[in-house]
Amino acid sequence: MSNQELFNDFFASRSRRRFLEQAGALGISSVALASFLEACGSSATTTTTTGGSVNMAGPIDMQTLITNAKKEGKLEAVGIPPEWADYKDILDGYAAKYVPIDYQAEAEFSSAQELEVFTKSKSHAHGDIGDVGFKFGPQAMQQGLVTPYKHAHWADVPDNLKDPNGNWCTEYYGTQAFVINTDIVKTPPTSFKDLLSGNYKNQVGIDGDPRQANDAFIAVYSAALAQSGTIDDIQPGIDFFKQLKQKGNFTSARANIANMTKGEVAIGIMWDYLGLGFRDSLKGKPNLKVVIPSDGSIAGPYVSIVNKTAPHPFAARLWVEYLFSDEGQLFFLKGYAHPARYQKLVDAGKVPADLAAKLPAAEQYTNVKFVTDLAKLSKASATLTQNWPSVIGQ
Amino acid sequence: MQIPASTETSAESTLPKAILRSGRGFRLGYTLTSWLGLLPFLLFCLLFELLPAFVIIQGSFADSNSGSFTVNNFQRLLAGISYIHAFQNSISLSLVTALIGAVFGFFAAYGVYNSRANWLRNLLVGFSSIAANFAGVPLAFAFVSTLGVTGFVTVLLHNIFHINLYDAGFSLYTFWGLVLAYVYFQLPLMVLLTVPALSALKPEWREAATNLGASNATYWRRIALPVLMPSLIAAMMLLFANAFGAFATAYALAQGNINLVTIQIAFAVNGNVDFDTGLGNALAVGMIVVLLLAVTLYTAMLRRVSVWQGR
Repeated sequence: MSNQELFNDFFASRSRRRFLEQAGALGISSVALASFLEACGSSATTTTTTGGSVNMAGPIDMQTLITNAKKEGKLEAVGIPPEWADYKDILDGYAAKYVPIDYQAEAEFSSAQELEVFTKSKSHAHGDIGDVGFKFGPQAMQQGLVTPYKHAHWADVPDNLKDPNGNWCTEYYGTQAFVINTDIVKTPPTSFKDLLSGNYKNQVGIDGDPRQANDAFIAVYSAALAQSGTIDDIQPGIDFFKQLKQKGNFTSARANIANMTKGEVAIGIMWDYLGLGFRDSLKGKPNLKVVIPSDGSIAGPYVSIVNKTAPHPFAARLWVEYLFSDEGQLFFLKGYAHPARYQKLVDAGKVPADLAAKLPAAEQYTNVKFVTDLAKLSKASATLTQNWPSVIGQ
Repeated sequence: MQIPASTETSAESTLPKAILRSGRGFRLGYTLTSWLGLLPFLLFCLLFELLPAFVIIQGSFADSNSGSFTVNNFQRLLAGISYIHAFQNSISLSLVTALIGAVFGFFAAYGVYNSRANWLRNLLVGFSSIAANFAGVPLAFAFVSTLGVTGFVTVLLHNIFHINLYDAGFSLYTFWGLVLAYVYFQLPLMVLLTVPALSALKPEWREAATNLGASNATYWRRIALPVLMPSLIAAMMLLFANAFGAFATAYALAQGNINLVTIQIAFAVNGNVDFDTGLGNALAVGMIVVLLLAVTLYTAMLRRVSVWQGR
């Protein structure tokens, strides 16, 4: 969005608001008043439109959504990078079917920056929907920045992955995987136990220092799950890496694309979508295989949120419906992010065979666990910061 | 490195001549333009050196959350065994690489100084200027691809001589591996710093010494080394500072596996847990203190350099 457009927009919404304000004050139109209140971010969840009374907390039937979204004219997406999780196809699909999307200005925003946009939106309505890391969902709710909306496939999403009131809902997740260089590793490990018992000298690496990088942190946490069977304590994971280091299997080299290409890290523990992306971009030099460890894999979910003061409330809800539709969810999968309704889609046989062939088998995902208790996460993080130095002998 | 610390006497002797020659107005104009030229640099120093240093020192005495005055950050630094180790590691890494760089760099520079072939001298100095600035992520990866577990040299040694470096106890991802990587930029920097210092050795001194019956060894022991020593120590202090502040190479090579102060600061301000600016600032103040010692030694040595080399 160019500056000129921003400028025009700003005045357009200001003048519309002023008009509604005056109309409302004169008591001319209750319809206008209600939508004015919605635009100003009132907590009202029910609004009246030309089509009658609509429960804005959803679900809303597609026809109402489409008609009203077309009236609003567009969608403002925040933090939706087209190159991530195949958002490109989702953006194109939505724009082709419904209304155009403004997304480029804020496409690369981080979760924290997205919430900042929603906060600013209180004084000047801007930004309809966002895509944030799991812990930012509850945070946005606490700060009163989001509005609840339950889409048509609400029941398909596991309870621990959504807010019971509909304020945020997991759209897709990545999970910890072994990315294995099969040119070097002849007997690929399938579990954390294998890593410890097999002869993988100097071959196993993680993606960064777990005290700093979330990917590596969840790798240690997954090892804890594998060792103890629970996600209550990360310490068994720390002990696991201590043993792995003593055995000589754990390398200090980072499991990034350079070291994976070189073979310096022959077994990288990292997000599955990263590994699958590496595999595709390296095209067999070397050959990489992605396996979800059978005894422990923890996922990192991303949640969808709707701005409480969204300038285009119907277009925003239509976006949510599109994300959770079969089409939207399969686009996520095409981008190697496992959609929230993955198991349902698999059960219904809706995953195309050519796409499924590119992914680890669906059974490998049945044991994937989610750490949704934020208190547990911060406790694990504190334990790790304190005890990780003992693994690397500091 | 050669900040001309001209002695008082020489400044006094040149001053009246300058006034006689150029007159008052010209001198004023000259100082004005030179001050104008200096202004952006001074502003830069203020904004990017002095102010940040002030903010760091102030922040090290402030509580990370409330911002109130506290010495708790320093208490935590001194109580945390891994922070003390970080300082030990950083200081020994910097000393070891500065020493190795200085010794081998000096010999290399002497070779350059002595070589009659101009092209060789230019080549070596040119190479040194490039290598001295080759650091960070590219350097780390260059070493991984040569001396890593699957590195070119490692594999070559294994396939041809049947020597497995990593079974023999070598690892690139340890303290000594990092020393190796650091020497890669420390040594050429030493060459660049030492070549000009060597040219201060006057051929007449050697001729005079030989005339008086001194052997080559005596000449080095009694004349050349005492003259050069302050320059060498000053250069070594620069190498020390250079290594002490480095972060990217170490982090790219072995992430947090080699415990250095700069890496601890990164964890404190960019970690998984809350970010702890107070502790980060306290660690940075610790670094400032260490570097101040090095710089003090450096300037003291420079003063001696000016005595001997007449600058």
